[in-house]
Amino acid sequence: MNFIKRYLIPRLISYFLVIWLGITIVFFIPRLIPNDPVIKMVDQMRARGSTLEPGTMDGIIHDLTVMYGLEGSTLEQYRDFWVRLAHGDLGVSFFQFPAPVSDLIATALPWTLGLLLTTTAISWVFGNIIGGLAGYYTRRSWSRTLDAVAMVIRPMPYYIFSFVLLLLFTYVWRWFPVTGGASLGALPEFTWGYIKDVLWHSFLPGLSLSALGMAVNFQVMKLLVQNINAEDYVQYARLGGVTNTRIVSKYIIRNALLPQITGLALSFGQIFSGALITEIVFGYPGVGMLLYRAIINGDYNLIMGITMLSIVGITTAMLIVDLAYPLLDPRVRYT
Amino acid sequence: MSPEITRRNFIKLLSAGAGTFVLTEAGLVPIPEGLLGPDKAFAAQSGTFPREETLIARILTGRVGTPDNFNHWVGWKWQDRGLQNLADEPLWTVDFATGEIINGAAAGDPTYSPDFMTLTVSLRQDVAWSDGEPFTAADVVFCIETLMKYEGFNAHTFFVDNVAAVTALDDYTVEFQLKQANSRFHTNFLDRWGCTRIFPKHIFEQQEDPTLFTFNPYVGCGPYKLHSFDPQGSWTAWEKREDWDKSPTGILFGEPQPKYIVFQYFADEGAQILAQLTHELDVVELSADGLKALLAQADTSRAYQPTFPFVVNNDPCITGIVFNTARPPFDNIDVRWALTLAIDIVEYTSIAVDSSGTLSPVHVPHLGPYPELYIKPMQDWLKEFTIDVGNGETFAPYDPDAPKRIAEYAQSRGYVFPEDEEFIAKTFGLGWYKFAPDIAEKLLLKNGFTKKDDKWRLPDGKEWKISYMTGTVLSNHDARNAVAAVQQWKKFGIDASMFNTEGGADLGYVGDFDVQTVWPAREPWGAGPDLYRTLDDFNSAYIKPVGERNQASYHSRWSSPELDDIIKRLRETDPFNTEQVVAIGIEGLKELVKNMPGLPTYGYIGFVGWDETYWTNWPGSENAYCVPYTHWPNFKYMTPFLKSTGKS
Repeated sequence: MNFIKRYLIPRLISYFLVIWLGITIVFFIPRLIPNDPVIKMVDQMRARGSTLEPGTMDGIIHDLTVMYGLEGSTLEQYRDFWVRLAHGDLGVSFFQFPAPVSDLIATALPWTLGLLLTTTAISWVFGNIIGGLAGYYTRRSWSRTLDAVAMVIRPMPYYIFSFVLLLLFTYVWRWFPVTGGASLGALPEFTWGYIKDVLWHSFLPGLSLSALGMAVNFQVMKLLVQNINAEDYVQYARLGGVTNTRIVSKYIIRNALLPQITGLALSFGQIFSGALITEIVFGYPGVGMLLYRAIINGDYNLIMGITMLSIVGITTAMLIVDLAYPLLDPRVRYT
Repeated sequence: MSPEITRRNFIKLLSAGAGTFVLTEAGLVPIPEGLLGPDKAFAAQSGTFPREETLIARILTGRVGTPDNFNHWVGWKWQDRGLQNLADEPLWTVDFATGEIINGAAAGDPTYSPDFMTLTVSLRQDVAWSDGEPFTAADVVFCIETLMKYEGFNAHTFFVDNVAAVTALDDYTVEFQLKQANSRFHTNFLDRWGCTRIFPKHIFEQQEDPTLFTFNPYVGCGPYKLHSFDPQGSWTAWEKREDWDKSPTGILFGEPQPKYIVFQYFADEGAQILAQLTHELDVVELSADGLKALLAQADTSRAYQPTFPFVVNNDPCITGIVFNTARPPFDNIDVRWALTLAIDIVEYTSIAVDSSGTLSPVHVPHLGPYPELYIKPMQDWLKEFTIDVGNGETFAPYDPDAPKRIAEYAQSRGYVFPEDEEFIAKTFGLGWYKFAPDIAEKLLLKNGFTKKDDKWRLPDGKEWKISYMTGTVLSNHDARNAVAAVQQWKKFGIDASMFNTEGGADLGYVGDFDVQTVWPAREPWGAGPDLYRTLDDFNSAYIKPVGERNQASYHSRWSSPELDDIIKRLRETDPFNTEQVVAIGIEGLKELVKNMPGLPTYGYIGFVGWDETYWTNWPGSENAYCVPYTHWPNFKYMTPFLKSTGKS
């Protein structure tokens, strides 16, 4: 009861406050920058070759403003947004009119989740295990070799790294496809053939993200383990005759994992923003390009829909980590 | 009794879950057996389309955001994914490669009444929609009336404002009665990367609200019909109609050759190049450096031209610089001319496009009919044209030798190309303006500017800074012009800088900029002599004060009573009377040169690469039978001329 009153309720209040504040900021910022969705669409229409008389222009701007639901003041639009959201309606995309925002996100999100959940998990698990071992056996030659490899990979700009993979695996060796989430002509179906095709197309984007993520986790974990290994309580344990296996698993890795778990939660939360450069280099479908296009076209509703997911994702991940911390760290108690 | 969640149990659970997950993934992620190796990989990449029967091109405008919605009469629907270029057949299409107007669904030119209040259009007979229904005047009438009925259609306001009535005189003749005289009304149906197209009555009349209709599967009069599309918008595939001879393309040019045409999305230029090098993409459009890289690596790829400058240089758009004439000091004609004369066009084109641009001194590009109709006849006037430098001194700014100097510079850098005058003129243009920094200096001093420590100062003594607004894609021609201009003006002593923004359209409309790009004037209708579209954009009726939304397409905010009169006379002239149209058009171009609200530099350049592994007879410069771009509406007219190599 004390936990609920003294910790859970204030934490939940701050959780909802952060979400409200995040959504409110994201609502107003796109409307403050000079990127009017109506003007963007008028520009597109002008490029289509029509001779627009001045009166015609004004009429088109009026029609689009009504159609997009952008009449009234910004505050009125803000109120309407919350009313719509309360009914589970994220509105329609302006640039991809009249596609509902929820449909667009639902189409792109499985690709992002499939790729980023997998690569985040793989890079976290393997990066931490190998980094932990390398940190403990820091003088071994394999540890130094892995450290050197991570030193090369980590500072490499992601675009360059992924393009090198693309060049090697699609042109030099021609093992993987150049672009796309599936083959030309392949339509989504729940068959092994299609799943295999998707995995084949996902390999290079997955490899690029996993390798970099693994290098980051490896280096961080290695440093953490090295530092903890030098702590007094580890030295005492060693002098007291505690076995190496026990020291590594119980004294070092467990302590080193705590900040890494927070990092993992943040990484999972950030998944909802997508991986824009991966999507560009590998032509992979996902939320990143959807968000990028929404921003450059001033597609307010779509920006809101995607960033709302991201805000809720990150804050929820942090909430879960906060609540789960006593289970992971014996020093933390919410009593 | 439920098991207690202790810290120990939780960690065990977490470890077990993570372990299971990793093992599962480790089993899935390795490359599926039997897929490795170029041949099998290649077959899989081709999916259901036999490569020897399939042409693969890139979607220019990016991943399709509404893959299952083909109703391109509402909003933006990525029409270059095959809608305009394969499945649709407009009434008329411009072909800038040949300078001709192609009568598609129309049987010939439209006919206006002498007062331009009535327009009659004859339709081509024996044309059928891709579902077999005949295309008739009833479709045209229904389409226009429906566009006028629903506000959600893009063309709604235009037709409501202009059309009093539309009637089918018989099955193949349509008459438009207009609300006010409009001698260019028909241009709304003239396809030049977009126009009003006709939708089928027998399908749209069944829809309760046609603006919400997704029109899937798409039905058009073009030679291809929809085959399939990726729900993620990565590709759209089209299949040749069995009754292709019922499409205007088939009637005019014969049977299209590729059985399938797939438009595929590539976000990255590097991926495009790799796809062509591995023969997975027949047509690419790249940057200057991208095309060089492709040609250096590929044995089977070719560019539009067989020698330098390799590029497509016959596009109907002229690129250049736009001055905001509503903002000082750009409201001063002497300042605009000073900035022009501070440019060394040899250096400028070298920086911008590696010397591969075709110059034009006037506000239409050097292509198609324009050199013969406009630029050559204006040579004498251009040579005699002078500007007032002050103190009774005049200066003739035109330089007919500029193209020759660019050619020499390109040769000095090792590029090899024919040296005959015809090639030089076609490739580099007929002339531009002199590099005369001394005259530019006199013009500025005349207007109270001062120079201190090699830096120009405004008449009020403040340092002269120019913010050049441009887009964020540095390989695009707006940015290429910006980079070159900023470098030239810095060299001249002005503190010029680039302002890269995605908000250029908005800032342009309200006049919140100094200088911007990319089009100093609106392109004509792509072919044909009529410059109404170009000149009318400077109509004073469209200009709004800074802070209000301008109504013109480009935002120099310049007009003059003289040009208004020229526009009025052009509007009252039959667009098909070439002699009169050209005479008035030349007057308009002279007015623009005298005032230089925007500075034309070089014509738009495309960096196209064609793979000849599966398809040949591309419309290169030596055989320019058609517009060379696959994203233009004219692509369907290219398909009957392509030849399969037979390679599988």
